[in-house]
Amino acid sequence: MIINLEPEVLQAVEKPARYTGHELNAVHKEWDSVGCHFALALPDVYEVGMSNLGLKILYEVLNRREDTACERVYAPWTDMEAIMRDRNIPLFGLESFHPIKEFDFLGFSLQYEMIYSNVLNMIDLAGLHIWSKDRAEDEPFVVGGGPCVYNTEPIADFFDFFIVGEGEELICEVAENFIQWKNAGRQGGRQGFLRQLAKLDGIYVPSLYNVTYDKKGLFKAIEPAVPEARPVIYKRLIKDMDSVPFVEKPVLPYIGVVHDRIMLELFRGCTRGCRFCQAGTSYRPVRERSKDHLRELARKMVDATGYNEMSLTSLSSADYSCLGELVDDLFKDFEGEKVSFSLPSLRIDSFSIDLAHKMQQVRKSGLTFAPEAGTQRLRDVINKGVTEENLLEATSAAFKQGWKQVKLYFMMGLPTETDEDIVGIAKLAEKVVRKYKEVTGKWGVTVNISVSCFVPKPHTPFQWFGQLPKEEFERRQRLLKDSITERAVKFGYHDARLSVIEGAIARGDRRLSQVIYQAWADGAKFDGWSDLFKNEVWHEAFKKCGIDITEYNQRTRSFDEALPWEHTTPGVSRDFLMREWQKAVAETLTEDCRRGKCSACGVCPSLKAKIVDWRRENV
Amino acid sequence: MFKYRAKITKGAEIRYISHLDYAGVMERAIRRAKLPAAYSEGFNPHLKLAFASALSLGVTSEAEYVDFELTKNLCQPEVFDKLKAALPDGVKLLKLKPVKEPKPCKGKKHKALMAEVEEAVYEVFAPLTGDWDKAAAVIKKFNAAESFTVHRVTPKQNKEIEVKQYMLQPVKLSMCGDLVKLDMDIALTQSGSVKPGEVLDGLCQQYELPVEYKRALIHRKEMLGQGKPLIDLV
Ligand code: SF4
Repeated sequence: MIINLEPEVLQAVEKPARYTGHELNAVHKEWDSVGCHFALALPDVYEVGMSNLGLKILYEVLNRREDTACERVYAPWTDMEAIMRDRNIPLFGLESFHPIKEFDFLGFSLQYEMIYSNVLNMIDLAGLHIWSKDRAEDEPFVVGGGPCVYNTEPIADFFDFFIVGEGEELICEVAENFIQWKNAGRQGGRQGFLRQLAKLDGIYVPSLYNVTYDKKGLFKAIEPAVPEARPVIYKRLIKDMDSVPFVEKPVLPYIGVVHDRIMLELFRGCTRGCRFCQAGTSYRPVRERSKDHLRELARKMVDATGYNEMSLTSLSSADYSCLGELVDDLFKDFEGEKVSFSLPSLRIDSFSIDLAHKMQQVRKSGLTFAPEAGTQRLRDVINKGVTEENLLEATSAAFKQGWKQVKLYFMMGLPTETDEDIVGIAKLAEKVVRKYKEVTGKWGVTVNISVSCFVPKPHTPFQWFGQLPKEEFERRQRLLKDSITERAVKFGYHDARLSVIEGAIARGDRRLSQVIYQAWADGAKFDGWSDLFKNEVWHEAFKKCGIDITEYNQRTRSFDEALPWEHTTPGVSRDFLMREWQKAVAETLTEDCRRGKCSACGVCPSLKAKIVDWRRENV
Repeated sequence: MFKYRAKITKGAEIRYISHLDYAGVMERAIRRAKLPAAYSEGFNPHLKLAFASALSLGVTSEAEYVDFELTKNLCQPEVFDKLKAALPDGVKLLKLKPVKEPKPCKGKKHKALMAEVEEAVYEVFAPLTGDWDKAAAVIKKFNAAESFTVHRVTPKQNKEIEVKQYMLQPVKLSMCGDLVKLDMDIALTQSGSVKPGEVLDGLCQQYELPVEYKRALIHRKEMLGQGKPLIDLV
């Protein structure tokens, strides 16, 4: 079946090009010419989905295989969803317009917890059973990947399996195994395939485990129920970034998307060791691409798209060992082609400022820094190796170069935080304002401070720490607001209501799937869009399921408690995380292992991986 | 600078992208074609593109016109082949001509494309929901009418437009397969114009033209100046 959207449908919705495909570089294959149909979904609207680098990589990797066709699918916006439900139009793939139900796999990229309601909504719009146990033999396998796999339990019952870690190799193994299983007559049915899959490194099949809880109702253990299931699933990891395929022909959207530019991934991993940061533990160790390989990729992508903007992306791009030379080379390579380059995040030092200045020759849009905490004490707690002097030096370099706008990111509710730390945010911002006056002799700077509410995440040193209640977040937000006296400081903060729900789900166990189901059934969707977020629906859902939300978000776990996320692991050991927690409380720093000493986090030995950093190689 | 005029299409695949996005498609295609394009000055250099007239969302066309400038005087076949190869689904390059500038001594430049266009020819297709005779009568009445007013409601304005002043030819009605086809020849003037969708909407609402307005498909056939297709003006 092919879905044919009538003009009256498309004329009635906002941005119809979200649903009409045919973009340049989209890959169209004859439906019957391949043995495996993979739909890759990002459970958010097209413009967000088209900006996700991980999916771009997987799309190309899968489509390079002759035996597999990969298509894209995103969450229809609410106007389109209403029409689809009204007219019984099922969710479809953007290449072939076949219903998702006819695919073999529906893969979701799971970027953050508050997108789960959209996952359920898309599964439902596709006409599949929401709970994996109910799915029939002919329904696609629902698979999850992305950052959220480091605690899959709250959504475990909706998924047939998960891909843990970096997926470009593993997803091909999944496709191969599927085709074999299919050609061999689908031995053992769905369960047969899943059991076979469970033998692959990095695959987690939740239905092959038993979960137990103790008398007090705390999570006790998760244990394999069949021999194929492994007690612990380590993430997959690409050892040599130069040997795996990357994006060469990104799909070029017709309409503006969130990141409407080329994304050149310099390296993976960041070992600066910020103790709140899940990305920091989950992508270890650092593995760089070589400069020449990057130049080659940049050339291919510019030629394939005609884009004139390129972002040099990574978790902390300024740490790339040959960044200065790379930028010079790229300037040379694209001379006269009017391509501009940008860094998504800046390190707080003058090297970064000089580079940003060079890259943005004339246009001086705002600069963004992330001191994360307002006092040196608290920055030491979180291992953010940045001092006030660093920030003032960096901003003064920026002001000298002509910047007039600075954005500072902070977090609120970090472990050991006191009112003094909160007031410290205001003081720090005001010092930046005065720095501007000192450097330029004028007023007229704007310092935007953006403060998010801290959500403790699995596999970080803060994974045991109880999150603040909403009221306390709000009190601290008011305190900060009252502490700001400079008019040049603009204060923006996150919705604490959303953060406390995220806090519960982030460290939830399998019992929360009922809550997520209930919230979705009661209308939760697009929770990340502040105007669509339905706070009451979520709290009602917890109540209806008889689950106390504070048990999950506010409760501090004890070190001897079993944690429901430890069986899907990025490879950092519990010992390391505990050590880091002790050091946090003691306000002592841990070195970056990229060029410093190994802090024995466990990743390299357990995954047989090693750091790839070209500066390190050369010494 | 060396100016070229291209006659291109906007196919069904991309009928739902806006005029601005369509311009972006051309800009990137010219970049992919590696033509030595001329850029605007300033912080955010843009390729110098000029379109004849914006097409509404949902309308296809076999006669869009764009002027662009190159920094080198390349021969027509080279530009044509390179550009043609770089275009995505939904845009086809039909014709391409260098724009000859009048002699500099005359102190004039070639007129901007937007100022040259005077007339656009459309075909409107829609399912018939009633009697053919009724439809024919409506069109006859419309063609004979002294004036006919439609309302244009946009977020910014709410205004009345007298349509007949823009109708260069009587609307022609015919059947095309299962669909009714209306040929419209509409004037584009400095002070304004009317869109074929607005005419159709007006006919349905005011004269009860028996067609399914919501399922109508509109197609631009040609754009002319001085009675000639714009490509023939250079
Ligand atoms: S094992 Fe050592 S070198 Fe490897 S990522 Fe962990 S801290 Fe760094």
